[in-house]
Amino acid sequence: MIRRVRIALALLACALAAGLLRAERGWPGASREPNAAAQRVTFNRDVAPILFRFCAACHRPGESAPFSLLTYADAKSHARQIAAVTQARIMPPWLPAPGEFKFADELRLTEEQIRVFRRWVEDGEAEGAASDLPPRPRFLPGWQLGKPDLILKAPKPYLLPASDTDQYWNFIFRTPLKETRWLNAIEIRPGDQRLVHHANVLVDRLESSRAQETTPGAGFGGMEIKIESEAFDPDSHFLFWKPGSVPRKEPEGMALRLDAGTDLVLNVHLQPSGKPEWIQPSIGLYFTDQPATKFPMLLQLENDAKLDIPPGAHDFVVTDDFTLPEDVELLAIYPHAHYLGRDLQAFATFPDGEKKSLLHIPNWDLNWQAVYRYAQPVHLPAGTAVSMHYTYDNSEENPLNPNSPPKRVVAGNRASDEMAHLWLQVLPDAPVTAASDPRRVLQEALARHKIENNPGDFEAHYNLAAVLQQRGEVAEAARHYELALRIRPESAIANNAYGGALMAAGHPESAVKYLAAALRARPDYFDACYNLGLALAMENDFAGAEGYFRRAVQLAPEDANAEANLGSALAALGKNDEARLHLQRALALNPGLSFARENLDQLPPPDKKR
Amino acid sequence: MRRVARILGFARSTRYALALVFAFLAVAFAASAQEAVDLSGTRTSPLQHWRGKVLVLVFVRTDCPISNRYAPLIQQLSAKYAARAAFLLVFPDKAESPGAIRAYLRDFGYTIPALRDTDHALVKKAGARVTPEAAVFNAKRDLVYRGRIDDLYPALGKSRHAASTHELADAIDAAVRGVAPPRASAEAAGCVIADLQ
Repeated sequence: MIRRVRIALALLACALAAGLLRAERGWPGASREPNAAAQRVTFNRDVAPILFRFCAACHRPGESAPFSLLTYADAKSHARQIAAVTQARIMPPWLPAPGEFKFADELRLTEEQIRVFRRWVEDGEAEGAASDLPPRPRFLPGWQLGKPDLILKAPKPYLLPASDTDQYWNFIFRTPLKETRWLNAIEIRPGDQRLVHHANVLVDRLESSRAQETTPGAGFGGMEIKIESEAFDPDSHFLFWKPGSVPRKEPEGMALRLDAGTDLVLNVHLQPSGKPEWIQPSIGLYFTDQPATKFPMLLQLENDAKLDIPPGAHDFVVTDDFTLPEDVELLAIYPHAHYLGRDLQAFATFPDGEKKSLLHIPNWDLNWQAVYRYAQPVHLPAGTAVSMHYTYDNSEENPLNPNSPPKRVVAGNRASDEMAHLWLQVLPDAPVTAASDPRRVLQEALARHKIENNPGDFEAHYNLAAVLQQRGEVAEAARHYELALRIRPESAIANNAYGGALMAAGHPESAVKYLAAALRARPDYFDACYNLGLALAMENDFAGAEGYFRRAVQLAPEDANAEANLGSALAALGKNDEARLHLQRALALNPGLSFARENLDQLPPPDKKR
Repeated sequence: MRRVARILGFARSTRYALALVFAFLAVAFAASAQEAVDLSGTRTSPLQHWRGKVLVLVFVRTDCPISNRYAPLIQQLSAKYAARAAFLLVFPDKAESPGAIRAYLRDFGYTIPALRDTDHALVKKAGARVTPEAAVFNAKRDLVYRGRIDDLYPALGKSRHAASTHELADAIDAAVRGVAPPRASAEAAGCVIADLQ
């Protein structure tokens, strides 16, 4: 058994798309418009219903907003501010322009509602009749979905400095699970809502992020992170938190798999408050007995290779177009750019040539980024081209330009670099069966598309190779691993995977060199260690194999295969007593390991004379 | 900027006017010469103090997150220019009590003095419109700069990753050297002071 690792499609992983907390609709007065000439706008009748419905989720004590907007006094001491920020559509924060398809939980005021705030100021900010005041919205204290089945707290808090730039911190939550469980919701409590601008959970099934912590449990800095994942495991859910959002349960059948030993990485965007603050987030996990039956996946459009924005450029356009090879339902969309992104568009061109907008953000602001879920899934038949069309402003006129005077900007992970990413959460219409998986078809098409865009895309070559290998096209898989290795010769995972592919193709002698390179790059890399032992054993070099299997057993004491192979190598070397011990241990870990049983049975009986 | 000096002079010269007029002007005098209240409740006129030094007023509000984020920078600037410039925090919200302001100063590590500008007399003199906003008076008490601290919040609802221009520091630097700042004003983004009447 050869172990492979696949790189996840970067940034986001699982998530139960967050919806916005909304008070109920339909209060008396909520839809009544003040009669222009005759009636003065009052707080109780006209202003409060809008504040309660659109603002109070955040503008209340203990929440993210800096002040409450629950009472007449609250609102009066911010009246002009409210009129100005609603007029400019800065508040409530909702970036998309009204479009073809509606989003769930749209937080967009009508022109009429905006006028109410302006007229209230003009009319003298009257309170109005007490009988007009609708009841205050009620909000649940604490966990929004009830007490979680498992609450995890970040192992160590992070000290946010009093001042300086925005900070990005990643907390690694170690899950204590002993077996695979299914999740139908994750609730993120970012620690201090006032300081956290947004947060994302990523699933790290291989503990691959831990290497970035300088002290175990302390977390690590970084705006964009990449997670390695197993052979074919498309990250399929958005798990996103922003101020005012509440968790929602995943739709029926779309539970998220959580294996023993999985880490959950919380990527948090923080803004200093003016004094040092400790941040220690928690997450709540909600389990279900129902394993997933529907498997959505995340498709990432991107064209970072084309991001080379000259200083002063007002309208630098980056596009990407991907034609879907399968019928899918589009569930949610998540655009991503940094501070130069201005106008972000996504659209679909259907097979009959009709073009429809999927998302249009005319005035992008990284600080208010969000995952947008469609109110109804959008059907995109095979042959539909999905397109990303982003415009960047690297001129002095862009008030958010990180450089003054403007400088050339290219793609990168820092805030002063740029990105051109668009994530689509899609659910393929065809079911996943043992024989066919529509996600693999999508994955392969996407990887080929990325290679076409950018032949230097390491991950695309790597991921394509993984899909090909899974399908049994070993030679072609090896070719793409080799191409990936040409781009990153030092990559531990690519060296390991290429070595694995060579072994699968029957060339263990050629594999040894790459597996050894993988181990040099990452000395505690269990998979490479195991594979190298296996390659040597396949070459009948049992003495060489013994050392690597021993090390593999040290690295993963619970791994039955490593124990069994160590026992088998020892048996081949005639070290029968020790071989017996390891084969027995392997069978204790996994009684179904038939080759371990056979090898054990072939050992001569223990020497009882001694 | 000359207006400030002229009003003060005018008020003083009217002490001998008719009783009725005097009563009216006395109010004006009180508002202009003893503009603010310190945290112990004593009326004071900051523009009369720290003669020979540059005076920096920073208008803030305890519930304004943009104000708060600047606390370390304001404290740093006041330390850097301690010999040549006096710093004052001005709280224009009459609903913020001296006790709440004291707690706030402790919380954010402020050591510079604070005043309450409950009548908005200092707000008017400086022409401040939002919190946080700064006003720099030179040693002769001419208003030489009014506006944002830097461009971290370049427009309403927008925040940059880091500031790229530093208008307040530039203005103080010029004022202590006795020259005109590069810019006399720069629009500040923050919490609207006019809501605090």
